[in-house]
Amino acid sequence: MPEKDESQAKPREEPRIGVYVCNCGGNIGNVVACDNVARVLGKLPNVVTSHSHMFMCSDPGQNLIIDDIKEKGVNRVVIGACSLFLHEQTFRSAVERAGLNPYLYYHVGLREQVSWVHHDNPKEATDKATRMMMGGIAKARYMRPLEPVRLDAGKHALVIGGGVAGLRSALDIARRGLQVTLIEKSHYLGGHMAQWERVFPTHQKARVLLKELIERVLAEPNITIHTGAQVVRTQGYVGNFQIKIRQEPRGVHGAFPNEQEAVAVCPIKQRREFDYGLSTRKAIYRAYNGCVPESLVIDWENCTKCGECVKVAPEGMINLNEEAREFDLKVGAVVLATGFKPYEPLYGEMGWKEFPEVITLAQLHRLLDDEGPSDGKFYWNGHPVRDVAIIHCVGSRQIEGVHRPQPDGNVNNYCSRVCCTASMSMAALIRQKAPDAKVYDIYEDIRTYGRGHEDYYRNAGKEQVTFLRYFAEEIPEVMRADESADRPLLVKVKDHLTWGETIELPVDLVVLATGMMPNPVDDLIGMFKVSPGNDRFLLEVHPKLRPVETAVNGIVLAGTAQGPMNIQESCAAAGAAASKVAALLIQGEVELEPFVAVVDPERCNGSGKCIEHCPQEEALTLETFTENGRTFQRAVVTPANCNGCGVCAGVCPNRAIDVAGWRLDEFEAMVEAITDEIPAMEGAI
Amino acid sequence: MTITDKEAAQKRTAMLADLRKERREKVEHAQSLLKGQQAVRKTLSRVMQGEPRSIPEIAAATNLPPHEVLWHITAMKKYGEVVEDGMDEDFAFYLYRLAKEPIHE
Amino acid sequence: MTNTLKIDALVVGGGIAGMQASLDLADQGYQVALVEKNPSVGGMMAGLSKVFPTLDCCSCITTPKMSAVAHHANISLMTYSEVQSVMGNEGDYQVRVMKKPRYVIEDECSGCRSCEMVCPLDLPDYDNEYGRGAHRVIYVPFSTAVPQKALIDIDNCIYCGKCLKACTTNAIDFAQQPEYVNIETTSIVLATGYKTTPYDAKKEYGGGRLRNVVHGMMVERLLAPTGAYGRQLRPSDGRQPDNIAYVQCAGSRDLTLGVDYCSRVCCMYAIKQAMLLAGALPMADITIYYMDIRAFGKGYEQFYENAKAMGIQFVKGKVARITEDENQNPILRVELIDQNSRVVERKHDLAVLSVGMLPGFDPNSMYGVPVDKDGFIKAPNPNISPTLTMREGIFATGTATGPMDIVDSIITAGAVAAEAAAYIQSHNGHRQLVAEQTERSVTHA
Ligand SMILES: Cc1cc2nc3c(=O)[nH]c(=O)nc-3n(C[C@H](O)[C@H](O)[C@H](O)COP(=O)(O)OP(=O)(O)OC[C@H]3O[C@@H](n4cnc5c(N)ncnc54)[C@H](O)[C@@H]3O)c2cc1C
Ligand SMILES: Cc1cc2nc3c(=O)[nH]c(=O)nc-3n(C[C@H](O)[C@H](O)[C@H](O)COP(=O)(O)OP(=O)(O)OC[C@H]3O[C@@H](n4cnc5c(N)ncnc54)[C@H](O)[C@@H]3O)c2cc1C
Repeated sequence: MPEKDESQAKPREEPRIGVYVCNCGGNIGNVVACDNVARVLGKLPNVVTSHSHMFMCSDPGQNLIIDDIKEKGVNRVVIGACSLFLHEQTFRSAVERAGLNPYLYYHVGLREQVSWVHHDNPKEATDKATRMMMGGIAKARYMRPLEPVRLDAGKHALVIGGGVAGLRSALDIARRGLQVTLIEKSHYLGGHMAQWERVFPTHQKARVLLKELIERVLAEPNITIHTGAQVVRTQGYVGNFQIKIRQEPRGVHGAFPNEQEAVAVCPIKQRREFDYGLSTRKAIYRAYNGCVPESLVIDWENCTKCGECVKVAPEGMINLNEEAREFDLKVGAVVLATGFKPYEPLYGEMGWKEFPEVITLAQLHRLLDDEGPSDGKFYWNGHPVRDVAIIHCVGSRQIEGVHRPQPDGNVNNYCSRVCCTASMSMAALIRQKAPDAKVYDIYEDIRTYGRGHEDYYRNAGKEQVTFLRYFAEEIPEVMRADESADRPLLVKVKDHLTWGETIELPVDLVVLATGMMPNPVDDLIGMFKVSPGNDRFLLEVHPKLRPVETAVNGIVLAGTAQGPMNIQESCAAAGAAASKVAALLIQGEVELEPFVAVVDPERCNGSGKCIEHCPQEEALTLETFTENGRTFQRAVVTPANCNGCGVCAGVCPNRAIDVAGWRLDEFEAMVEAITDEIPAMEGAI
Repeated sequence: MTITDKEAAQKRTAMLADLRKERREKVEHAQSLLKGQQAVRKTLSRVMQGEPRSIPEIAAATNLPPHEVLWHITAMKKYGEVVEDGMDEDFAFYLYRLAKEPIHE
Repeated sequence: MTNTLKIDALVVGGGIAGMQASLDLADQGYQVALVEKNPSVGGMMAGLSKVFPTLDCCSCITTPKMSAVAHHANISLMTYSEVQSVMGNEGDYQVRVMKKPRYVIEDECSGCRSCEMVCPLDLPDYDNEYGRGAHRVIYVPFSTAVPQKALIDIDNCIYCGKCLKACTTNAIDFAQQPEYVNIETTSIVLATGYKTTPYDAKKEYGGGRLRNVVHGMMVERLLAPTGAYGRQLRPSDGRQPDNIAYVQCAGSRDLTLGVDYCSRVCCMYAIKQAMLLAGALPMADITIYYMDIRAFGKGYEQFYENAKAMGIQFVKGKVARITEDENQNPILRVELIDQNSRVVERKHDLAVLSVGMLPGFDPNSMYGVPVDKDGFIKAPNPNISPTLTMREGIFATGTATGPMDIVDSIITAGAVAAEAAAYIQSHNGHRQLVAEQTERSVTHA
């Protein structure tokens, strides 16, 4: 709980302030004259010691602070450095190690707010840095020790998305002894991995690998799985999220002997999503043979409830009147593993949809799959495919102004990371299946970067795949060949491996190596208040310091929801996410920042204004007290629900409510100090 | 110096002498390195008395290969014996001079 | 003197991967010992300038982690230490660690460097500056080293005694002997990292012979604020270069060197360095000779695009040979792949070999953990369990498992922590906090 406040205005011990100005290895020091700033600030009242240092965050830098606290009796610390997002925790723990309350330190952002934005004006930047530090020092005079808000945390995590990343993180969290609920939107587990024929870098059967993983997940007693399930509402905060799940009915319960018959009698024919439309399915169907859960499922959108299937199935097996159900979960942390979707080319983009002989790499996987729509035979339109062109970077590495934007106006300017190796692997597979086929590989750069990936590239060369290189500004053209030609399509490429000559390739099939896009999860983004990045994938706090955490405490990322990754990388990220969840929940308690509203009981007269204006649910309540025979009302704060916005402090007519760590007296002192005269200094520049 | 300090100092001297004897070969090698270094540094200090100079200028004046001069200047700069002071006219080379008083970091 | 330490996880190697793995295990309440063979933790990352793709100053990312492993209540940090033997069985390993003598008592040394200031002999600093800078015979390895403690290069000491006199805490001990620590641990995490391909391996490139042919790590030191020169100077004569060439795949994707794989970071570090050099030397021309630019990570493609927009030249070509002119300017013989393999000669005043990665350590004989044909630790199930090794209870992370950048090293460190934690949990008989088991159900509604 934040401290109960007795004296609003006066600090109770003489402030002895230590001031530290970080050069940030030149990031700040090359613009701001840090030595001078430190010297000037050293003259301010209450400042006991003032330093400039190359790297305050390094051990020697931290030791400087610790020594000053221990030896010079410093009891308030003001650090001017990078962004507090980066190193607030670093410095708090240093201050705490020295025996001082960690909230008696204030961080001034001299990098993002000064040196980076004013690098063209060192003099003014130095002046601004000095003033901001003066503000910090003024605040420090008023800072009081605070304690973090400690709350019980549910030892239970929710994993959203049952692709390989979600499965892997669920397993890792559960193996640590925590409870896990995994929800998957579709009616089967495994996500996209289930659709691939073989996977690099091991050339293993994807579904064999996946099955092993799913079996491990099913064998784990701490994991509960719901398929056909999605989040519909969330509330709460780290350690204590309340989540409402909606589960679509499956309609079919368990396997039965004459399943095939039940499917056969269904009159509805639909595009089979699993095969990217290369085959069809019924309104009662199974995503693929061997999927988990394995029972059939009803496609409610297209089912007419004609009841034919019910008639042939054993009694009670199929229920076409089953209702969706909703249920609540209480979890301490959430893993977002909602995955990706393949880029869908625009109409006419390299012949897409215009010519049926243009397919995507994902479709090629289905086509070459022994259990796929053509039983793995490399046939198209009933004819064996002879010559193929694979075109890279479709929907990846796009350039604004060159590539046609998607309907929402976006272009994908990132690399999708998996398509190069996946293409190389498929090119070789084509040559195995059709040894006489000519395979042309039309690329910008071959990015077989990972361990074992380069082998696929070399192997493609050995398999006599012909490479042509195009530049993004000169996109290859796919067109219909003359009636007389014996290949239906013509690919025109300006090839930069041969003086930029334009080459025409007659082919039977064009494969577009389409990239990855984030699965649309705007609903989750809204509910959990996480942010997407410029590439529209979910955004981490910092790619190096906190690579799987979002800005919302307790919400972590796993797999391709965060950006293109292959299976190995998705699993590694899932493990990292599990580590974070375990570290967070294993103690059964979480700590929240103490920057929450505090009520001055002397001044509060129960006007209720604060409650009226509070934007948070259940953060403030009016309660009735009886003291010395007098009954009155007073505002009470529930710290866990308060986000410290300070609206209450603005509306209180009695100045009876304030935000701990950011009180009005602190603000006033800061504003005054920032506009103050900078102390004069001999020799200052 | 009190008696005990003196004793300690004597003991220390004796210990160092023993170590030098014990590890003669290595010590001799290190001593030869030191001699070489001292000779170079003396020459460098001599030619760097006046105006700040660039590495090629110092190399020409000392007859030492420029890359060697660069190494010594780098070392001397690290330990505060030399400071950088401006650039040549073409902005191709930095200029160096002896520190007025060796600054210790 | 021998101590015994009972722990849950022994992490070998204190680079970014080993540090992060230690922190992620320690944060879960496990007892960890981190053994690093060098006098400071930090690994290769400690020597970098700024890091792609964010261009954060590298120290800002790594030094706080270095500090954190030194201060975490659940981590015992042993620097300048090496594992001597590993015995026992899966889940119950007995490891003997030798702490090499620093000739400075770690607990006494305050890191004030008074000793270093009075020491008379300068030595080339090969470990941190690739010979371009110097340290004294007694020295603190570098300014952000953790621990910030001196050590003596005993083979070059003349026992003049100046340091003894200068030391205010009586920390110097010429008689120091190795110390041994016995460790009993449930699991072991190998985070032994990488070394760069030797830049003199490919004779045609003249690395080590031609003074103005340098390698990527040297350029990191040219760019780092703590680097030996503190400037961007070429090594032959201290001139500021103004026409710099990058030679990509120098020691990667090269069958003649037996390194057939891509080292994964060199494209990006070359682009990064080119941008930083362009910032520091606005007049300089910078050309990158490459086969494929592999900017595959999150935000990397945009980074590459920014470099092009800054005027960095990208030339698709394979450098065949490097010679030099009378002014020691490197001359590159380049086969221009984009122009039907036409061969041209280009003169630059500094050539940087973008050297790749080789495994830092072969754990097979000591740990019974085999490596793959590329020399990195073999993974039995690289797709699903990338941090497993062929031996139960021993896990691997970071560049010990193949080339990768910092982001990926940190991610795999988190993954190895999860994998090891689960192993420890099952092995230690759920002695930690076990959640109550609820009935398992796979609902189909
Ligand atoms: C053509 C192609 C070939 C490839 N080949 C290889 C290869 O050979 N080797 C390799 O390593 N990698 C390969 N990959 C990459 C690989 O497919 C991915 O790395 C991997 O599938 C990512 O797994 P994921 O769990 O992150 O995402 P996904 O597989 O997309 O799983 C996400 C899951 O979350 C579910 N979901 C989404 N939103 C919600 C929601 N709101 N609520 C609940 N559930 C939700 C989805 O239904 C899905 O099941 C290939 C990719 C492509 C496109
Ligand atoms: C020139 C260059 C520039 C780079 N720039 C970037 C960049 O900008 N951004 C980026 O993301 N990546 C960059 N990288 C890659 C980056 O350096 C690595 O990804 C990262 O440092 C790998 O960390 P690690 O912990 O796996 O290995 P290391 O840093 O090699 O750490 C391994 C540690 O283990 C220790 N060790 C080894 N064997 C033993 C043993 N037997 N016992 C005890 N200890 C042992 C070593 O001493 C070392 O401290 C760059 C690489 C190079 C070469």
